[in-house]
Amino acid sequence: MTHTFKGGVHPNYMKAPQVPVNVVTPPAQVVIPMVQHIGAPCKPLVAKGDYVKMGQKIGENPAPVSAPVHASVSGKVVAVEPRPHPLGDMVMSVVIENDYQDTPCHDLAPLTEEERKSPEAILARIREAGVVGLGGAMFPTAFKIRSGIGKVDKLVINGAECEPYLNGDHLTMLTFPEQLLKGIELVRIACGVEKAYYGIEVNKQDAINLLNSKHPEQYGIEIVPEAVKYPQGGEKMQIKAVTGREVKPGGLPAGVGACVISTRTCYAVYQACYEGKPVIERIVTTGGSALDGPHNALTRIGTPLGYLAEQCGGFVKDPKKVVLGGPMMGICATSLDAPTIKGTAGVLYFTKQEDRNLKNPQCIRCGKCIQVCPMNLEPVFMYMYYKKGDYENLEKYHVNDCFECGSCSFNCPARMPLTHAFKTAKLMLQAKAAKEKAEAEARAAKEAQK
Amino acid sequence: MSEKKERIILDAAFQPQVRTETDTRRLMLDVIIALMPALIVAVLQFGVHVLLVVCCSVVSAVFWEWGYRKLFHKETSIGDLSAVVTGLLLAMTLPPTAPWWIAPIGTLFGIVVVKQLYGGIGKNFLNPALAGRAFLLSSYALIMANWSIPNALSGTVDGTTMATPLAGLYSGTMPAYFDVNHLFMGYIPGSIGEISTLAILIGGGYLIYRNVISWRIPVSFIGTVAIVTLLSGREGFGHFDWMVYNLFSGSMVFGAFFMATDYATSPVTLNGQLLYGVGCGLLTVLIRYFGGFPEGTTYAILIMNLCTWAIDKGFHRHQFGVSKEDIAAAKAAKKAAKEAAK
Repeated sequence: MTHTFKGGVHPNYMKAPQVPVNVVTPPAQVVIPMVQHIGAPCKPLVAKGDYVKMGQKIGENPAPVSAPVHASVSGKVVAVEPRPHPLGDMVMSVVIENDYQDTPCHDLAPLTEEERKSPEAILARIREAGVVGLGGAMFPTAFKIRSGIGKVDKLVINGAECEPYLNGDHLTMLTFPEQLLKGIELVRIACGVEKAYYGIEVNKQDAINLLNSKHPEQYGIEIVPEAVKYPQGGEKMQIKAVTGREVKPGGLPAGVGACVISTRTCYAVYQACYEGKPVIERIVTTGGSALDGPHNALTRIGTPLGYLAEQCGGFVKDPKKVVLGGPMMGICATSLDAPTIKGTAGVLYFTKQEDRNLKNPQCIRCGKCIQVCPMNLEPVFMYMYYKKGDYENLEKYHVNDCFECGSCSFNCPARMPLTHAFKTAKLMLQAKAAKEKAEAEARAAKEAQK
Repeated sequence: MSEKKERIILDAAFQPQVRTETDTRRLMLDVIIALMPALIVAVLQFGVHVLLVVCCSVVSAVFWEWGYRKLFHKETSIGDLSAVVTGLLLAMTLPPTAPWWIAPIGTLFGIVVVKQLYGGIGKNFLNPALAGRAFLLSSYALIMANWSIPNALSGTVDGTTMATPLAGLYSGTMPAYFDVNHLFMGYIPGSIGEISTLAILIGGGYLIYRNVISWRIPVSFIGTVAIVTLLSGREGFGHFDWMVYNLFSGSMVFGAFFMATDYATSPVTLNGQLLYGVGCGLLTVLIRYFGGFPEGTTYAILIMNLCTWAIDKGFHRHQFGVSKEDIAAAKAAKKAAKEAAK
């Protein structure tokens, strides 16, 4: 019996977990942006000319919703200035010239056995090591767990990896099963729950078997096999599949007593607590028709996207777009100079070959978008109201429930830009609400003056 | 290297970056493939004249679509094959004796008046093929009711034309050669596409297997007709026989799989599709029982086409994360607030 949710699509998975992990030689210069998480941007702790060690903390912000960043190589800081960020815009970054010594920094000692049983110590370490949601959302993990303590009774570990191309989670399960289970145990202790449910899609049956052979029950973990369907790894879908609960519209997972942490995040927690290693590298899956074939590259944070492609065999065709993350929810980088960051699970170099968009798409009203929407929305009508600029009806059709999984656009035979439209519509609604609020406040201030 | 980097201008296109292979053209191609079994049966039973009618219909439909868009300087749209489907579907609803010139008149009405004047594919509110047929039915009533004898019955029946099983059924004189087996295999007179229930089921099954249409409309449509006719039998027939005859004669099954499922003119909401199918079924039976025409499928579907928009408005799926209890609680709170205001 596999667990799942209603709706969803079956994209061509293009996965290649059999490709061995290649360790990318760190570049001569790494660029470490101060924004690699959701929340307050970090302030650089180093200046031009400083020498930094590998794993040394180089940026921090004391705000609760934030995560520090660390140097991924050792060497000299050559610049602290705004550089292109993979998600667009220029962001303050620390540029380090690699001395290729990888001189380690011992600021973070492995936790003692005592400390590994204390939620406070674990949470402090998770924060210090800069662990964020490595599935791609990059929400600071320590804050996420802390805000759920007392409310969460079901801890769900996300091992679906439903996005096409990506193999990082699968490879982590296969290479470090015991470490991964220990990492999950730490997260479970930090959350203060008795049991963690590890949802894994059954296309990773080898990983499920391997993990089951390592006695997950002794760590308080139950493996939950899930149907292979996109977006199984979506937070709300994962909760629905594993616990049967539905997160309320506009609500948080903690509202139904659930918390979802991704596989790679759990492994990062293991590294932070057992090895004293902050988040400075991760497996990045590269692929797309501009490259020779798929690669699973163990990459330091801050490796420029162009350099990464060179290390993966170089371009066989000129790339037309560079996608960060999976092809369904990933967004496009605007520059090959931009570096990889903590949330970069994959970098796909696409050419025209993958492009199926049309210049002037015509909706044929087939309703296939409705059949696949995991949130029970009606994209065909939402798009119509979006085109008209009808905010009232957009809200009535619950456009704010859309979490932009891309299933509707994926399945659209007429190639309508549905997901893109809803993303824009949500931003417009937010801007409108902010404007109304500001106006109301101004009015209230005026009346108070009278 | 730096020169090359500058040459590469990255496209920051919207997500998702991959899309399914099935496009509009592929869907339309699947409909064309699904119609082939019925067409083959028609050629076997009525001869190659059928092919002439079909060709005239398809070519004219494509010509009107191309001509209209050319004339008004719009982007050409014949590449999506939807005009081919309209032409093919219209030809399927014509009698096998239809003269070659009648189909172009029907496609002119269907493609230009019903489809293009409202903005082309996806914008029409009536099924273009059925609207074309309805236009021909009212303009050339005699030609449209001229049923030639199928080859399977050529020795059994005299003359050149004969009445359809549905006419026999409702006049109470069902000839022996219209047995269930003949009805199912298509050894009967009738419109080009409608005669063989077996061929239609093969085509319809293909469409559902390919996920071109959902099961909801055909099943609710045919199911409704089955239940109503089973409950309201006629004298001289067993209840079950009456139901089976009603299902296998006439164009109801063809309409349920190929006409009622037209994307633009059927509901997109899932429960709405069920209601639409039930409505089509009820109207078909009502027209057969009480209407002036022997067959009611055309008008039943056209009437339900007009209700599609209202049906879609009335059926929303439950919002994810909102249970029935939540809705009931919200309603109760609203009521309480109203009473408190009083």
